[in-house]
Amino acid sequence: MTLALRRKGRLYRSIAVMTFKQYLAYNLWFWVQLLGQILMMTVFVFFWRAVYAGRGTVGGLEQQQTITYILLAQMIAPLVQWGQILPMGDLVREGMIAIELTRPVDLQERFYIETLSSLGYSLLQQVLTVGLFARFVFHLQLPSDPAIWAAFGLTLLLGNAILFCFDWMFACLAFYSTEVWGLHVVREGTVMFFSGALVPLVMLPGWLQSVASWMPFSQALYTPVALLSGIIPAAQAPQVWLVQLAWLAALAVGSRVVFRLAVRKVTVQGG
Amino acid sequence: MPTIELSHVSKVYRTIKKDSGLRGAVKALFRPHYVEKVAVHDLSFHVDAGEVVGYIGVNGAGKSTTIKMLTGILHPSGGSIRVLGRDPHRERVANAREIGVVFGQRTQLWWDLALRESLNLIANIYELEPARYRQLLAEFAQTLELEELLSVPIRSMSLGQKMRAELAATFLHQPRVVYLDEPTIGLDVMVKERIRAFIRDQNQRNGTTVMLTTHDLDDIEQLCQRVIIIDAGSVVYDGPLSTIKQRFGTFRSIAFETAHPLEIEHLILPLGTAIASHGERALEVRFDRTVTSASQVATALMPQIEAIDFSLAEPDLESIIKQIYAGTHTAALREEVLV
Ligand SMILES: Nc1ncnc2c1ncn2[C@@H]1O[C@H](COP(=O)(O)OP(=O)(O)OP(=O)(O)O)[C@@H](O)[C@H]1O
Ligand SMILES: [Mg+2]
Repeated sequence: MTLALRRKGRLYRSIAVMTFKQYLAYNLWFWVQLLGQILMMTVFVFFWRAVYAGRGTVGGLEQQQTITYILLAQMIAPLVQWGQILPMGDLVREGMIAIELTRPVDLQERFYIETLSSLGYSLLQQVLTVGLFARFVFHLQLPSDPAIWAAFGLTLLLGNAILFCFDWMFACLAFYSTEVWGLHVVREGTVMFFSGALVPLVMLPGWLQSVASWMPFSQALYTPVALLSGIIPAAQAPQVWLVQLAWLAALAVGSRVVFRLAVRKVTVQGG
Repeated sequence: MPTIELSHVSKVYRTIKKDSGLRGAVKALFRPHYVEKVAVHDLSFHVDAGEVVGYIGVNGAGKSTTIKMLTGILHPSGGSIRVLGRDPHRERVANAREIGVVFGQRTQLWWDLALRESLNLIANIYELEPARYRQLLAEFAQTLELEELLSVPIRSMSLGQKMRAELAATFLHQPRVVYLDEPTIGLDVMVKERIRAFIRDQNQRNGTTVMLTTHDLDDIEQLCQRVIIIDAGSVVYDGPLSTIKQRFGTFRSIAFETAHPLEIEHLILPLGTAIASHGERALEVRFDRTVTSASQVATALMPQIEAIDFSLAEPDLESIIKQIYAGTHTAALREEVLV
């Protein structure tokens, strides 16, 4: 039992390390992306300052709270932006799915470990670049209570797992049709809006808020960021986790079922 | 219990047929027109432990499709498959642990990683004991001449280097069954030899069952005691290599080189012979051993063409397979399989 665990640990570690190395291989892309992000962040800050001009609160939030939220949301946004549709589409279109399916590792499990690894990597990268920029240029203010940080961490992790399971179901559509680019575009737009990357969800009209709450996206961005920026009080964290666990349970089961069905449909492109 | 067992397996690919242009694309979206392609039809055979089987057939015969079903990637449309007692599709992950596979046109190694790192990762994926892994790595590095390649990323390897690396990766976890789909495609003779020697060695030492798909008949002659020939998705021959050779090696050929340009029209050919090919000063004649003999053919032709040299070709598998592929023997083979 412990031996099996140790082996699994070794496997997961090596998948994570590999993901990490592959990220490092794309250096140039990283700087371009960084520039874009800093630009976005600046635009957002000026936009919200203009909105708040002469007003105390907007949608129940004070200016400082909103700016903190938006800065954090922009840092987390790259972690929810991509999803699994394109990588899976590539695997299927290029026929590499054949290789992946002959490995004695569950494909979904492997994708999850990779997602987790890139979560860690992106987070580190975001904090060290955009994070420092936000701190020194826009005076990003963060809580000092380690309990809030821990709650944030756990919420982010759960939210990431929820989003992963959701994305996995759509990624499985690549087994049915290799033309998944359109699907990816729709997903990206929907996720960017309903995850709360652009606007704190509490500011939305009631009906839109309830639409957002019936989608899993906010769990991966809005909820953790709202916790960290104080929009959701720390005392509510346990409730938040309960909701997240419910989402996770439902989507984990759903994604397994969809995967099992989709694998039957695999056709491998090319010799 | 056979190691690999297929009974009445079929595979139908269903694809959406699109007319060209935007109009076609839109039409396909709303009213898709499916075309079905039967790649494998009523395929049955079994392979016992430790056998090395050559699985051959023309392009599009259904070889790769069969291999993909055997590895559990593809779900057969009909019939049943058992590999080591399991349904490879339903128990794909468990099956994967015990098999190895090479798809000649793809790599299972990580493009950007050095070979050593890729192999480390594979050792972890297959949960190899570290000590055993080190031992095998040293062994493979030697037999496949990989020492210098261990620090090279896959993307900067030549085709031959890549394939050697690929084989090391495939056999690293000591699989009981290995499928090789065109492992020697595009390689030079030296590399082919090395790869064959490696496969033979693994088979003899570990009793690995090997199914080999190839268009290179030297591969077959050197590795396989048994061949399965498929055509249009069904078996047309399954048996020892020697039988095909005996039975269908009735045609042999003699090649002549002549002193003067040939005048083909004026040649008088003896009974049971036909011109296989000719050039300005070269002539190849194919004859039926049951009707005539090499010396009779030579005697009849030499005076007519002023030959300065001639050679008799051994009946090689290639020409036999060519005849089978051309359909000359398909009917005869079918009968034999049925009898
Ligand atoms: N993904 C696919 N979708 C539709 N048809 C396919 C697909 N893959 C293969 N086919 C068709 O099925 C038939 C068998 O293909 P397969 O790849 O098994 O042939 P093969 O014997 O491996 O040929 P080769 O020697 O060229 O590799 C071919 O007619 C091919 O066009
Ligand atoms: Mg093929």
